[in-house]
Amino acid sequence: MRDKEGVLLAGLAEHGVSRRTFMKFCTTLASLMALPAASGVAMAEALATARRPSVIWLHFQECTGCTESITRSHSPTIEGLIFDLISLDYQETLMAAAGHQAEEALHKAMKDNEGKYLLIVEGSIAQGLNGAYSTVAGRSNLDTLKEVAKGAAAIVAVGSCASYGGIPKANPNPTSAASVSDIIKDKPIVNIPGCPPIPVVMTGVMAHFLTFGSLPELDKLGRPKAFYGETIHDRCYRRAFYDQGKFAKTFDDEGARNGWCLFELGCKGPVTYNACATTKWNGGTSWPVESGHGCLGCSEPDFWDAGSFYKALSMPANPLKVASGVAAVGAAVGVAVSLANRAKKGAAKAAHETTTLPDLEK
Amino acid sequence: MGLEDISVVASSGGEQLTGNASAVLNEVAAMLAALAERGESGIVDLGGLPMSSADKAWLTEKLGQGEIEMSLDIGGPSKIRETAFHGVWWLVHHNDKGVLTGEFIEVTRVPELVSSHIDDIRRAAVNLGFLANDNH
Repeated sequence: MRDKEGVLLAGLAEHGVSRRTFMKFCTTLASLMALPAASGVAMAEALATARRPSVIWLHFQECTGCTESITRSHSPTIEGLIFDLISLDYQETLMAAAGHQAEEALHKAMKDNEGKYLLIVEGSIAQGLNGAYSTVAGRSNLDTLKEVAKGAAAIVAVGSCASYGGIPKANPNPTSAASVSDIIKDKPIVNIPGCPPIPVVMTGVMAHFLTFGSLPELDKLGRPKAFYGETIHDRCYRRAFYDQGKFAKTFDDEGARNGWCLFELGCKGPVTYNACATTKWNGGTSWPVESGHGCLGCSEPDFWDAGSFYKALSMPANPLKVASGVAAVGAAVGVAVSLANRAKKGAAKAAHETTTLPDLEK
Repeated sequence: MGLEDISVVASSGGEQLTGNASAVLNEVAAMLAALAERGESGIVDLGGLPMSSADKAWLTEKLGQGEIEMSLDIGGPSKIRETAFHGVWWLVHHNDKGVLTGEFIEVTRVPELVSSHIDDIRRAAVNLGFLANDNH
């Protein structure tokens, strides 16, 4: 938690980050945000002298994967700059303080920066039993969110859980989990979905807020258009194979080896808006489709309940119907089918036969 | 059986021209005309386009190599080179792990990244002044 009065570039210079290094970062960031060409330079000028805003980061029903995604990103010189752009006054995972000291830090930050601080929320909010399913410091997440949101200038819902409810909201949603925007209606909210979200999107939103004094343009689901404006499919390097009708039929056939389109293996790229295809993961090393697996659609609402990850979009799965069908036939038959499939998979493995999609779905 | 026995090609989308390279060439040509006529700079983000390695190779060959090539060590290595067409610069940025973070074609007199900022020049002037005085 650094001195919030310091300007950014002076702070970076202390860490050996030169103006040119910073400009390189801003150029890359502006490019990722699809801003006009001159914006990189303008952004560097603005951020160099920007005062870092107070940020309060709350953890609710989540796995902390979003924090991990950002703090353990492979390229700290880019994504790690998020922590130089802000004065992180409260973050339960990262802060040294604990217990009453931590709660005092929260309330001090809220009081000192009333109406000006940014609130980042990670995780969905349990509403069942008046929020009793998830509590911190003896208070429900629901109460904490309502209290802290009151004095916030804007809220950033980071990850699919905070944005849309995510996995805690998946059927049967035992805690009545909800997103931030389901509860808070009177504040500007930016959703940065993804499971986890792409680290540089967080940096981009912060940089936009500090450079232009406003939040970036959002789509109808509250996501920054710069990063979620196009589908995975539109930016996929395998798109050319889709257009040519060349598809992998299994994960180990000739098409898979040749890097053909994964559409028939259930890739959700055509209906998923995210920037994985251009920003990639692990410092730009690769991303799921490049690693040979279709997109799961994790930045879309209710992706966990959208059917099998291995059903092609042209034949959408209906898990509820399948489940009732199995129930009608009888539990004993279901168990028998399961055992038979397991035996078939075992036999296929022993004989090194090709495992088919239906095998994966049984 | 070892991993080397599995003949998986991680990415083979790069072997074919997608048609995007010729579109980029046309865009760069329009930008260079704007620079020549009105002094307007422009930039194309190659990382933001679905270009195969064949596309990159085609574009590299068409634009050719000019007289200037610069290496920068700024938060990881960067290379800037002028193509055979004056005012058309090809920039490649890597992070400190050596991973490609950005690739641009900048159409301008001198890439902005190369110019020294006035604040840095003023600070340098003061420091050099001290150094010169110390030597007297």
